[in-house]
Amino acid sequence: MQAKAKQWLLVLPALALLAAVLLVPLGRSLKLSVAGGSLEHYKSLFTDGVTLTVLARTAATAAVVTLIAVLLGYPYAYLMTRVEPRLRGLLMVIVLVPFWTSVMARNFAWVIILQRGGPVNSFFRLFGWDLVLYQSVAGVAIAMSQVLLPFMVLPLFSALSGIDRRLLLAARGLGSHPVRAFWKVYWPLSRGGVVAGLILVFTLSLGFYVTPALVGAPQQSLVAQLLGQRTTQLLDFEGAGALGMLVLVVTLALVAWANRLGGTISAIGLVAAAPAKGARS
Amino acid sequence: MVSTRTRLFPVLSAGLAVAVLAGCGGGEQVSSDPNAKVTLTFTAYGGAGQDAMIKIYQQPYTVTHANVSFVNTSPPDLSQVKAQVMSKSVKWDLVSVAPAAATQNCGTLFEELDLSSVDPSSLVPGTIGKCYIGNFINANPIAYRTDAFPDPAKAPKTVEDFFDLRKFPGKRGMLTNLQNGILEYPLLADGVAPNQLFPLDIDRSLKKLDTIRDNTLFAPNVGALQQAVGAKQVDMFILPDSRLVPLMNDGTKVTMVWDKTVAAINGFAIPKGSPHKAAAQEFIKTLAGPEQVAGISEALGTAPVNKAAKPDLSDNAKKVEVYGPANTGETVLQDIDWYAKNFDQATTKLSNWLVG
Repeated sequence: MQAKAKQWLLVLPALALLAAVLLVPLGRSLKLSVAGGSLEHYKSLFTDGVTLTVLARTAATAAVVTLIAVLLGYPYAYLMTRVEPRLRGLLMVIVLVPFWTSVMARNFAWVIILQRGGPVNSFFRLFGWDLVLYQSVAGVAIAMSQVLLPFMVLPLFSALSGIDRRLLLAARGLGSHPVRAFWKVYWPLSRGGVVAGLILVFTLSLGFYVTPALVGAPQQSLVAQLLGQRTTQLLDFEGAGALGMLVLVVTLALVAWANRLGGTISAIGLVAAAPAKGARS
Repeated sequence: MVSTRTRLFPVLSAGLAVAVLAGCGGGEQVSSDPNAKVTLTFTAYGGAGQDAMIKIYQQPYTVTHANVSFVNTSPPDLSQVKAQVMSKSVKWDLVSVAPAAATQNCGTLFEELDLSSVDPSSLVPGTIGKCYIGNFINANPIAYRTDAFPDPAKAPKTVEDFFDLRKFPGKRGMLTNLQNGILEYPLLADGVAPNQLFPLDIDRSLKKLDTIRDNTLFAPNVGALQQAVGAKQVDMFILPDSRLVPLMNDGTKVTMVWDKTVAAINGFAIPKGSPHKAAAQEFIKTLAGPEQVAGISEALGTAPVNKAAKPDLSDNAKKVEVYGPANTGETVLQDIDWYAKNFDQATTKLSNWLVG
């Protein structure tokens, strides 16, 4: 009992911080959104003809970003488990570089790459196609995929490096084709990591602000831009609070649903365990 | 171990109490003594504009008023003013604001001003409001990059041309800020006479904007559009005079289309509950003075709100001088009263159109 209480004491500073900077503002936001006991601000989210469009666009963008991230991240994380430690370290650094670069620098770099006259536009012009990805949803999705790739690779790597490769050998020894062995043995074991990565990347994509604001266009706003606009331009704190709550509820529901998909391995638990496992392998 | 805990909690709670007190406390004491030392927090859009304001508004003022000093911050988000007023911890004393926004929120977000000592006879109408004072006029002429339309005979010449993608293909650039003519120009291009513009037919304006929506870069702030012009991302654009001058100074060749030009007064206001209201009120009166107005026009290329101001303009500033010989067309000044009454409606409609 005593020991337990002492352990809780260790969490106290973090809890106090969370309460002060997260829970209290969140509560105030909630209170504002139902000011006067009316759900009018929530109702107008569904009737203003704009919010649902933007939410759908955001979800579609987040889905594309997540798909790109898992397609790029899975082979990358797999390779990381197969190479010698020194090369693995290098691969890790490469994937972490976006983490260490300033958000603004990274996004402005994407603006320069994607804008008219930039390398991407010049490349497509060689084939007579004047494609400008700057200020387009496609450009935003590409930039976000790069920014969010580490959130896919890290949980995946931690899951994949925990898989006992002798199981694959056993499958081969019993006469299985390599593809079948991968699909029947390796893939199910990696599923927890995949789900963890999917949840992380998808939920972060839902709330992304800087990339769509800098690389995207107002005509193709995502939900974070809509939130920013409602607070800073319309001064509609109540409506913004309602929108924020809606996004939060949607996100939490998705996390809960995806967490169950992850099967026996809890996706969130896996993320929490990531550094320990990574260090052991 | 119990002793540690009992010692730890008071320390923690004391720390928390200090933090809370520091967050709530107003700081210095409010004094009615006009010679008491005050530090005014001055909030504008940053960049070269605010640097000029420091030099032209603040520095001379601190010489004549030794007890006054300034702290500068940016940007002057209206939502910040609202948040400060709502939380009863107003930190800003002077804030750059659209006169319509100041008028709309007069007495709620902004202090009513006593400007009875300012002589309005030499001021452009609309310079003085109940809750703001105008400091300059931003004209937003239609302009194009000269290299995008190199043949003057085939270059755009009218407001209609800005909306004519067939005759004048090319990327457009516009600011989403209501002060920069985003609702007026479509109506002017649609055949509405300048003196018939107000009350604005917002729906008609947005319908006209629809025709160029896919070919237009809508910039949320002037810096972004100025940068886009410099980087050749847009060919034809509507940008305030004060941003055209630095572009030209940096070597970007720009030609103005002087047909009908929308201009708007910029102003300053005092947030409701400013801790140094009296001192701010004294200072704000000086902003429309002839020297200040002339100085700002020279520095930024904006048009003066005070007809007694005699700015000595640079060659590039003369090219965008909306009340000067360069402007061979008409000038439309935005109707502050209409915007004050319809600001929310116009903003909501425009925002919904934009993101939809």
